[in-house]
Amino acid sequence: MSEKEKSTELCKEGEKTEGDSGLGLGVLFFLIAFVVVFLSGWLLFPKLLYSKKEQPFNFNHVLHTNETGSCDTCHFLREDGSYNGIPDLASCMECHEEEPMGDTEDELIFCEEYIAKEKEVPWFIYSKQPDCVFFSHAAHLKGKNSMECKTCHGDIGESEESKPYEENRITGYGRDIWGKSIWGIKKHSWDRMKMDDCAECHKEETGSQGACFQCHK
Amino acid sequence: MKQEQKHGKTYKFGMAIDLDKCTGCGSCMVACMSENNVPFKVDESNKKDSISWMKVFKLTNGKSFPDTEICYLPRPCMHCSGKDSHNPSPCVSVCPATATDTDPTTGIVSQIYTRCFGCRYCMAACPYHARYFNWWDPKWPEGMEKYLSPDVSPRMRGVVEKCSFCFHRYQEAKDKAYVEDRDEINEEEYQTSCTQACPAGAITFGDLNNPSHAIHQLVKPDPHHYGKPRNPKAFRLLERLETNPKVYYISEKEWVRKSGDNYLEGEWEKVKNHHG
Amino acid sequence: MKVDRRSFLGLGLGAVAGAAVSPAGMKLTDDSSIMTQNWFGLLPVPIDGEITFDNSVCSLCKGSCGITVKKVAGRAIKIEGQDDHPINKGGICLHGIAGLQYLYDPSRIKSPLQKIGDRFEKISWDDAVSHIAEKLTAIKDQQKPESIACISGNDEGSVSELFKRFLKVFGSNNFYSMASMDTTWETTASKMHGKSNTLSFDIENSSFILSFGSGFIEGWGSPVHCFKTNAARKKKNVNLYQIEPRLSNTAAGADKWIPIKPGTEADLALGLCNIIINEEIYDITSISKSNSSFQAFSKMVAKDYTPEKVAETTGIDLALIKQIAHKFAWADKPIAIAGKGRGDTAGDTKEFAAVHALNCLAGNINKKGGTWVSRKNNYLKFPLAKMDSIAKNGFSKPRYTSFETLIDKVAQSSDSDIQALFVLNSNPCYTMRDSDKVIKAFENIPFKVSFSSFMDETAKKADIILPTHMFLERYEDIPSPSAGITKKTVGLSRPLVKPIFDTNNAGDAILMIAKALKGNVAENFPWSNYKKCLESVTKDIWSSLSDKGFVVLTDKPSYLKPSTDFFHVTNNLKSVEAQGDKKSFPLTLISIDNVRIAGGEIASSPFAIKTVSDKVIKGTDILVELNPETAAKARLAHGDKAKITTPVGSALVKVNVFEGIMPGLIGMAQGLGRTLDNKYVADKGVNINKLIAPVIEPGSGQDAAWGIAASISKV
Repeated sequence: MSEKEKSTELCKEGEKTEGDSGLGLGVLFFLIAFVVVFLSGWLLFPKLLYSKKEQPFNFNHVLHTNETGSCDTCHFLREDGSYNGIPDLASCMECHEEEPMGDTEDELIFCEEYIAKEKEVPWFIYSKQPDCVFFSHAAHLKGKNSMECKTCHGDIGESEESKPYEENRITGYGRDIWGKSIWGIKKHSWDRMKMDDCAECHKEETGSQGACFQCHK
Repeated sequence: MKQEQKHGKTYKFGMAIDLDKCTGCGSCMVACMSENNVPFKVDESNKKDSISWMKVFKLTNGKSFPDTEICYLPRPCMHCSGKDSHNPSPCVSVCPATATDTDPTTGIVSQIYTRCFGCRYCMAACPYHARYFNWWDPKWPEGMEKYLSPDVSPRMRGVVEKCSFCFHRYQEAKDKAYVEDRDEINEEEYQTSCTQACPAGAITFGDLNNPSHAIHQLVKPDPHHYGKPRNPKAFRLLERLETNPKVYYISEKEWVRKSGDNYLEGEWEKVKNHHG
Repeated sequence: MKVDRRSFLGLGLGAVAGAAVSPAGMKLTDDSSIMTQNWFGLLPVPIDGEITFDNSVCSLCKGSCGITVKKVAGRAIKIEGQDDHPINKGGICLHGIAGLQYLYDPSRIKSPLQKIGDRFEKISWDDAVSHIAEKLTAIKDQQKPESIACISGNDEGSVSELFKRFLKVFGSNNFYSMASMDTTWETTASKMHGKSNTLSFDIENSSFILSFGSGFIEGWGSPVHCFKTNAARKKKNVNLYQIEPRLSNTAAGADKWIPIKPGTEADLALGLCNIIINEEIYDITSISKSNSSFQAFSKMVAKDYTPEKVAETTGIDLALIKQIAHKFAWADKPIAIAGKGRGDTAGDTKEFAAVHALNCLAGNINKKGGTWVSRKNNYLKFPLAKMDSIAKNGFSKPRYTSFETLIDKVAQSSDSDIQALFVLNSNPCYTMRDSDKVIKAFENIPFKVSFSSFMDETAKKADIILPTHMFLERYEDIPSPSAGITKKTVGLSRPLVKPIFDTNNAGDAILMIAKALKGNVAENFPWSNYKKCLESVTKDIWSSLSDKGFVVLTDKPSYLKPSTDFFHVTNNLKSVEAQGDKKSFPLTLISIDNVRIAGGEIASSPFAIKTVSDKVIKGTDILVELNPETAAKARLAHGDKAKITTPVGSALVKVNVFEGIMPGLIGMAQGLGRTLDNKYVADKGVNINKLIAPVIEPGSGQDAAWGIAASISKV
């Protein structure tokens, strides 16, 4: 090792033959830089890469699914085959016109800021795909190969609190698209929602990873 | 083929344009621009950089007054089938980025804008000038972006775009079929924007594989000859290049049919009667 | 210890090594590639949502087509033709499809404006209305209520009726509408079949169509209705013969194109009448030989319009003239139509009368596939207008025969009889011939109020602008044009989006002005807003109108067979000629109605302009059509710059050598050379109306010019 460093030194420093202390410092610098960059890559980088945004107020999925029984009461396919996504204010009011609200702090925000002002709630959508993607919920929910919501969306339906939305500062995508793991390591089918993940499942289920136009617009 | 079967039905969507019916009104062009978020700029008179997925050309018979005749020829993307999967359409075969591809279930030639890096090989390869390059970022005057459709993503500078046979309309029709538990979509459920808009009813769109569809009855594609029309009044542009377009033209006028390709002297006489 | 360069090398290497085993590098590569694909978020991302469809009526032209507006999450994203609409049956033209480019146009007038010096300044609706009321009160106080006038793009419909009513109760009979072929057809019908009649053509059911230059598939009548009729005609093998000097789209799609010397159409029609009468192949059941006017007519055509003479005047082969006459007379349900191009301007009285004489000879009046003579259908029931003595006095003063004559008079002196002018749904400073004269006349009128949505040529001359809602923002009854379509329909324009700017319905604006005037005028406008007014004046049909979006008022011809008076044809012996002396202006400039260019008060949309050929617009230049022979004589080649001169103006153009135009003519597109504040549409080409002088016909007072003598030279 020292020989290697010596040769480096010889190469770099030319005629200068003295200065062992410099070499030792080089190693130290190397180690410091390595550790700093390595650690910041693992710990600081994700924090810098994603900006955390709090949802307008907490939404309790458990409470609602207990009441309604299933996901598709609020997240449903319309008659024309399109998918409604996050329900709008009017849909919420279908039930909440009757149900009293305002007990919790979050309900209070909902009442005062949105219902009273007739303003749509600007939810952040964890699984929002970029504009170039066409995704058909109908194709995945209906027919022979119908899928569970959980396969892609995980256990969000069992959440009692809304986790903060983490937006990638470079791409503008939500963190759930790449996955929580900064390496993109995937333990569950819902851990990542990138094109390769779609293709992987398509390959398994249909025998082909699908043509470009199937999912791109 | 096995893979395709697993996907459900395979279609071969095509278009037939009756040139005798076309009045050159331009509705198809604007219907297309408005459906597909096609941008516009201050000067659109340089037609080489004026993006128009559907473009209506004006042909003349070259005779002098008063024997002059004109004919309008709307030109979408031909969605060439090529000869087989190893010899696909000219654009697909040259694309180094797989940004353009033939969709196996519909036969539609796709163009993925986020995949394209703008080398423009496809434009050079396309004999129909159906592809357009975005030399500039599209800019909508303030407030006008409100009319943009979410079904088609706007294109950025540096990529190539072209007619998609309104593929999103196919997707929408399929979604509707899914919720209604149907495997197939009906003929009227998937029609392109230009077909729908044409006030003269000159455009027929449908599945070339399905004998019950109007387009099939109109052009009578010959499955043994790469879909060549068996209707003697129908023709495809530049047939001899064997690009095998899925867009057919129909005209009673001989000079119009003759202008569909470049014929050498005496050549037309040999082919004119057994065009199909 | 010494910190040297080596140590820094260590630092660098350490950082590289650290980065290599941390996820940052890979992630950054992936992210930056995604970023470049999405082009740094510079592109708009259209918001998705529920798709809904709403029906309304397009009022960009008089066609009154039913439209279906596709909305996503409440945002209008596309206009399509309404499938079950009786007029357009699902079809739509390019201008209609591009309707949203008008709606969302940032160059629209965003609030009321007042002209101060040379500039427009923003004012509130209240201030604008009270300012107008003040001016009008001053006029009334001078006992000169007849000195206010209104020019409207349409004569029918409740908004026009409200303006008419306003003028009436104020004390002015000076309400005018822009003339079009409908005006001339009305004159023809009244003169030949009795007063207050109008004409429409059941072309859908005809078996032979003889068109005297009508741009049947280029915007004539109700454009999309005609497109549909034309498509159906081809299926049924109904022939169309197109008579015009240029190979238009209609001529190209016709079964026969018969080039004719422009201005000699009446001669041809009368020549055909002569052959038909002479050979006694007219409809003997409907024409009585003892009819004195018919006798006079027969005599006149026999003397002055012999086939040989007509062949010479029109330049059409004698045999062909005979063939046309036979084809027309022998057809089961023939029809003859006139109105050049789109028919946007009034026609030559003689020509229309002569063409209609052919219909009368064919006996197709009030028959399926023929010409329908009927009273104007007034579906609006306004309460009786109450006038005070000043109003009565003012209203009884004589009016001008037409807006053309008004402008002509006003342009002559700055001491104008007209003190105030309302401009509604029209753009006279652009659409009227000899626009420079029109602009001068406008300058002589002390107070002008425009109700335009756009800063067009006329709005620019206004003192106050009260911007109107676009058609997708307002309620309005839209009656179908009379001449173009037999199925008299009224459609309901509905507000499908919230007003984008601080605009108002013109109907509401006039109600506000009336209320501000107080007294008798205000009492005649008891409605709290325009919608209430519309509901009450359409009481009988409102429920079906608001439910279905349209009501078909009549779709059958009157069972009455009106008598025919041929004296109108016999007495109108002079055709309108191109003005200017043939020596200095050896060529004739004619206007081309191109279906892709909006020619009327509203300019084309950016999309429409985009579809226009580079043989019509190149850069900011307009190209004019010249036959190769004409071009060669003037030593011009394709693409050359040239100057056109006419007795009233000159313009720089480029040359498009086109075989399909008759030698001796210059063809120039109508609808260009706009001066709007919209760079996508404005300042392209020239406005042909600046080059053509009006030819005011003594009888009708309308401008019936179809062209002008001109010269062209290379520059």
